[in-house]
Amino acid sequence: MIDRPTICGFCSCGCALYVEPKYGGIGALCPSTTHPVSTGRLCIKGWNAIPSLIRADRLRTPLVRKSGSLEPTSWEEAFSTTAEALRRAISESGPKAVGVIGSAKITNEECYSLVKFARGVLGTPNIDGPCRFYDASMVRGLLETTGIPASQIDLNSLQQAGSMLIVGANVMEQLAHVGSRIQDAVESGCKVVAADPRVSRLAPQATLFLHPHPGTDIVWIRALLRTILDRKLYAEGAPEMPGFEELRTSLEDVVMDLLPKTAGVEPSAVIEAASLLAKNPPVIVMFGLGVLQQAGSTKIVRALADVAILLGGSVMPLRGQNNAQGASDMGLAHDYLPGYGSIFDAAARQKWESVWRCEIGADPGLNAVEMIKGCANGEIKALMVFGENVALSAPSTEYTIAALEKVGFLAVSDLYLTETARLANVVFPACSFLEKDGTFTNIERRVQRVRKVLDPLGNSKSDLEIIAGLSTLDLTGSSAKRKVELSNDPDQVMAEVAANVPHYEKVSYQALDQAWGDPWSTNGAKPRLAPVSDRAAHEDTEYPMRLIASRINFHMQTGTMAARSPTLAREYPEAVVELNEADAERLKLRPGTVVKVSSRFGNLTRPVALSDAVPEGCVHVPHFFGGDSANMLAPFDCDAESGVPVYKGLHCVIQKASD
Amino acid sequence: MKVGDKLILKKTSVPMFFASLASEMRIVAPKKRFAGDVVFDVVESPKEIAWDYGHDVYPPGKRFLFPHYEDMFSYRTDGGIKIESLAEAPKQAIVGIRSCDVSAVRFQEKFFGEPIEDPLYAARSKNAVLFSLVCNKPPRKECFCICCDAGPYLDKGFDVQLTDLGDRFLYEIGSEKGLSASSEGGYMLEPARPEDIAERKQIELQADSLFQTASFIAKAITYITSDDVPDQVWEELGSTCFRCAACTNLCPVCTCYTVEDRPEGNGCFTRFRSWDSCQYAGFTREASGHNPRPTFGSRVKRRFYHKASYQYITRDGTHGCVGCGRCVSACLTKLDLPSVVKRIRRAMHEYIKSPHEPAVRKL
Repeated sequence: MIDRPTICGFCSCGCALYVEPKYGGIGALCPSTTHPVSTGRLCIKGWNAIPSLIRADRLRTPLVRKSGSLEPTSWEEAFSTTAEALRRAISESGPKAVGVIGSAKITNEECYSLVKFARGVLGTPNIDGPCRFYDASMVRGLLETTGIPASQIDLNSLQQAGSMLIVGANVMEQLAHVGSRIQDAVESGCKVVAADPRVSRLAPQATLFLHPHPGTDIVWIRALLRTILDRKLYAEGAPEMPGFEELRTSLEDVVMDLLPKTAGVEPSAVIEAASLLAKNPPVIVMFGLGVLQQAGSTKIVRALADVAILLGGSVMPLRGQNNAQGASDMGLAHDYLPGYGSIFDAAARQKWESVWRCEIGADPGLNAVEMIKGCANGEIKALMVFGENVALSAPSTEYTIAALEKVGFLAVSDLYLTETARLANVVFPACSFLEKDGTFTNIERRVQRVRKVLDPLGNSKSDLEIIAGLSTLDLTGSSAKRKVELSNDPDQVMAEVAANVPHYEKVSYQALDQAWGDPWSTNGAKPRLAPVSDRAAHEDTEYPMRLIASRINFHMQTGTMAARSPTLAREYPEAVVELNEADAERLKLRPGTVVKVSSRFGNLTRPVALSDAVPEGCVHVPHFFGGDSANMLAPFDCDAESGVPVYKGLHCVIQKASD
Repeated sequence: MKVGDKLILKKTSVPMFFASLASEMRIVAPKKRFAGDVVFDVVESPKEIAWDYGHDVYPPGKRFLFPHYEDMFSYRTDGGIKIESLAEAPKQAIVGIRSCDVSAVRFQEKFFGEPIEDPLYAARSKNAVLFSLVCNKPPRKECFCICCDAGPYLDKGFDVQLTDLGDRFLYEIGSEKGLSASSEGGYMLEPARPEDIAERKQIELQADSLFQTASFIAKAITYITSDDVPDQVWEELGSTCFRCAACTNLCPVCTCYTVEDRPEGNGCFTRFRSWDSCQYAGFTREASGHNPRPTFGSRVKRRFYHKASYQYITRDGTHGCVGCGRCVSACLTKLDLPSVVKRIRRAMHEYIKSPHEPAVRKL
């Protein structure tokens, strides 16, 4: 029987759908027609990936490593083994020897409890989310510009856009409901300026498609800003915006004539882009992982926000994961608290100290990438990972796996025995979003009710229950009675969030049982323009090709869920590297030749396919699964401001695997 | 009572009528769900039936006769092969189903019935009786059943057809199945008067005039059948596709499915089937890796060949569309039947205008 709707847990669009439980599995599923996002429609993942949440190989019982192998066990033993390992790590090396990495797939309630658990119960500052691997630069860059670390608009307002600037986003493949609204807008006359080194599926919608060299977005976007200023294309009132003069000054070194050399973009194209955008208000600026995982990503985010602010438009960052926004809102980050209060802000710390009844130091601890390094260098003795397949989402796969193998104690909570869980000492079987209650916050900041449709499979539990269950044990070895209390009732957790995080003050389960959720309010945000300096270009003659890594529409993230759908896996049966024909000829490579793509940090081996969409001098590596992704080639060099590793525009070299 | 009878069922008797039917079979009907959504489902009491619903996005005829996910049989491999059927064929009345969906069920019955009968479908369809509800006006702006001879009311092919006449339903018996399902509550039915028939006629005329979507499919059928549509038109259409396959999933006529074995432990497996789509590359890719429909455009072309070429029309007796409008509302872009038909017709004009271009006609 189809009862109440839930929210799809794949991408950040957050469609409402109905799922009928049957045969202990899924009998039927369909989109909601009245929901503002799904509007009777689902994407390929919505239609196909839901059953892959409950495949036969789902973890049904906790596992504990005994004499080398993971053995099924009881929850009691899994918990007590974990408690003992945490107590040992903390008594020997202090709470900072423990790290906690959460997920943007889990609910707001779970993210919030995990932060409270790490900071309040364990007393460690080392708490972070997967935003570190994907889009953390967006939070920082936007807080300093628009003042809103999220999209300023909802999906349906895309249809009213006069023009759009879409940078580094494979939006048609990854966020179908955004892509669909872009198509609708274009049909009603909206002009799209797209920028991507590769010809993406946005091409049929684009009025102007710029193909800058990989890793040079900052160069041409600065030129775009300079053009808007020099030609006075900005909206009325822009010169009175705070930061206007600083921005102008910071752009004085832009040399338009150098653009073809430094960014592969003609000055005339930048001028045309500026004029298209300025003449067609309202402007919406969107950007995806192409920007967010590039070197200097925070800078590029500021620059793009400046473009939007100057033109009187709005920003919509294209975050990928279903609860990327909610996880950020809940403070699943090492450098800020729920509601975005900085860890260095004494007032914010005091507030949460009094809510949680614990002490919080002005210490940003380690971010997720640093925690992995910490596992390798011994700084981290115990790592807990909830719902994130870090072995594959972190850079330099080989190094990361070695680090996770080295850490004294690793606990992983996940649906399946992921590449990360295989390395763990304790594995908690978590249940999927179909089997629990909670909320997700989508790309529009819409806080939506996730409803339990199925009973948890086997002995699996929600992450909320796991976190609350762990918190009742002695994890720190301290004799003082712990005051921090964690509830396993999502309704109660959301009540605590609503009472303390201003963005969520209107959220309640009661209200969400009456109507679809609304985006949280952005009232009171004060936008300002930020100066944008250049970044020194980096060339590497030994590794002359540039890497373009992308995602495809059949899959999500590391493939833990989506790749288990036979229909989706069937659409993408073989990993390839795509090359321009001219490069293939120069390198004497035929389609199907197996090649090794190497960077200074790793290599991967795949057969070649030819593609006109890939520019000369570049290698396009679509993400595959089981670790075979461009992440293998990425270094541990991160954007200095946000700590996001650089996965895009990497220097690499390609050769026949047989050589 | 006999097949062909036109009767009256008073609305005050409706709950009791369907309650009496419920003793023999489960009642599947439109139910109000969250925030105004309507989904067909099993109702506990006839009072739950949302008679004023518009249209269900999830085709009820397809869903309850050819389920989205259906367990077929289980087998064991330990200690010799043992196969056990898991086929379910509940006795059910699908109440409130629209004319387009009834027409689609008739299409699917034929498809799954010949030349080799699909036993799962046959059993379900044998045990199902459809109480269809005439659309007094097209329930959605996307509806175009009138262009497909599949609605808004039916002259034949229904089991029982209901027309809302305000305080009563006109109750038409169209089949033996419909007749037999009418017997239990038959005492509540009374013969229709001439004014009831006249009122119904008025509703037909009005409904026919209110359609907002039109699909002049005939010309497109000619172009498609003669392979005159230039490949670049198909590729252009395919370039906007989001590959979601909602068009075929939600199409009440589409019949494709895939099968899979679910391990149940201890050497036991369940074979189940679920809806599949010709819009997926993996649907036609051969074991060698060769795909006869390698591009999105070629798969869009395939879909419309199946919907609207004479080859299939001759075989199936009708084109593969009932005008329910679900592909219009479910598509993330504009690859619905009316839009594609329009694009094809326009494209032909564009090409006919410039007869020197080589892509125009294959001679």
